[in-house]
Amino acid sequence: MLLSFDQVSLHYGQSRPALVDVSFSLPEGGFYFLTGPSGAGKSSLLRMIYGAVRPTAGSVYIFGRDIAGLDRNELAAVRRQIGVIFQDFRLIPYLSALENAALPLRLLDKSEDYVVRHTTELLEWVGLGDKLHALPAALSGGEQQRVAIARAVVNKPRLLLADEPTGNIDDRNAVKLLHLIMELNKAGTAVLLATHQHHLVDSFKKPELRLDGGYLAPPDPRFRGEKAA
Amino acid sequence: MPSPLLFAPAFRHQKLGWLFVAIVAIMVYIATFAMAAEAALSSVSLSRNEGLANHLTIEIPPVEDESSTPQTERIKQAVAVLRATPGITNVRPLPEDETDRLMSPWISDPDLIKKLPLPSLIDAERATGSPLTASALEDRLHNVVSDARVDDHAAWLADLAQLVRSLAALAFLTIALTGFALVIAIGLICRAVMATERETIELLHVMGAPDVSIARHFQFQARRLAGPAALIGFLLAVASLGFLLFLLRHVVDISALQLMRWVGLAILVIAVPAAAMLAASLSARFSVLRLLQSFS
Repeated sequence: MLLSFDQVSLHYGQSRPALVDVSFSLPEGGFYFLTGPSGAGKSSLLRMIYGAVRPTAGSVYIFGRDIAGLDRNELAAVRRQIGVIFQDFRLIPYLSALENAALPLRLLDKSEDYVVRHTTELLEWVGLGDKLHALPAALSGGEQQRVAIARAVVNKPRLLLADEPTGNIDDRNAVKLLHLIMELNKAGTAVLLATHQHHLVDSFKKPELRLDGGYLAPPDPRFRGEKAA
Repeated sequence: MPSPLLFAPAFRHQKLGWLFVAIVAIMVYIATFAMAAEAALSSVSLSRNEGLANHLTIEIPPVEDESSTPQTERIKQAVAVLRATPGITNVRPLPEDETDRLMSPWISDPDLIKKLPLPSLIDAERATGSPLTASALEDRLHNVVSDARVDDHAAWLADLAQLVRSLAALAFLTIALTGFALVIAIGLICRAVMATERETIELLHVMGAPDVSIARHFQFQARRLAGPAALIGFLLAVASLGFLLFLLRHVVDISALQLMRWVGLAILVIAVPAAAMLAASLSARFSVLRLLQSFS
């Protein structure tokens, strides 16, 4: 399995647990929607996958390794195989679209020629070929999100995590964005996409993990999609 | 390869870049000045030492008793002994005028100098490596001039060497303290930049950037700023040194500095900005690596 949660719980201090006994697995090249209302624990679950928070109980296995046993360098190596799309894009405001999207390649010490050529191709693929040198402030919300997607997939990650990627864009752009992500999934990238927009989940026939109050809920018959493993 | 732009605005934020440039320039100025002063002083004193170490001054006290051998005869006898002594390569009795001129800085009245019972002086040059000592020469001279004295300037040279050693130690202490202050200042600037760029650093971590990669970006920015800063500090120090030498042109004999020593001095001085750039760059790298431990 690409990713496994084994009875994972997470507590932030004395407050209500963010996750309780969560178990699921995501196969190589799989796709799950991660749904639930705000505060259900979706972001905590995603943050746990890329090691920003550690489980209070249970184990998270990523690419076959228990994330709790990784040192800083091993964790960095794992993170380089994961692309993350944030709801608030998190583009660096003083870098152009090209520079933002190219960052993961620069971390891999690729040649300048490769970085520019590959990133340009990718930005053209997401429809931003004419905005390579635009700063984020000069781009619309949808365009910024496409730069964020380009950045997340530029180094061909094995797993793409998307945290409410459509939260800050209109429905028309949200559907286009999801089509882009579906194409990446078809190319072999596993996807875990958190959203609270049920109509989007209904539009795409993909399995769903539903969180509610930190618990992974049983499959909801409202969703017509294929159910999670 | 580091993105040339990453973190650059943070270094400009709140004029941190200017602070960085100013600190490096000032440190390079101080260190260059200290290094040049120490190197020049050592070279000049060394040249002078070598000159003085091979020179002996023979003093023939004036005769008080008119019935004794005349002073001119005593000088001739001493010169003859000196010329016959193995290890002495050059003998030159100083004319009276020259002796008077040596006294003139202290006694302005020429008539008074004439009246003083000053010894006659003979300058003798000892061959390099000769085992001849001042006391052995003095013993030989006593056969013809019983009260002749030989001065090999040992006491003066020892004092000078002590002074140079003390000044050199002081200069190196200044350079070491300057380097230490540079490292501390750059660490503080990096901390400020990291506070400004916390979100970017967290984002880079999520992308899988190892700490060394993030530190390399800081190192790149530090090197970019430290280069011109070191050059500014260096040029200011060279200009100040030139001005100082101009002011001291009547006191310091620059010609004592031979060509090879000038070259050595130049290499030493140029090493200061290069070392400052390296220190700034490494200090940024290691400060950031240490501070990154607090990031998840």
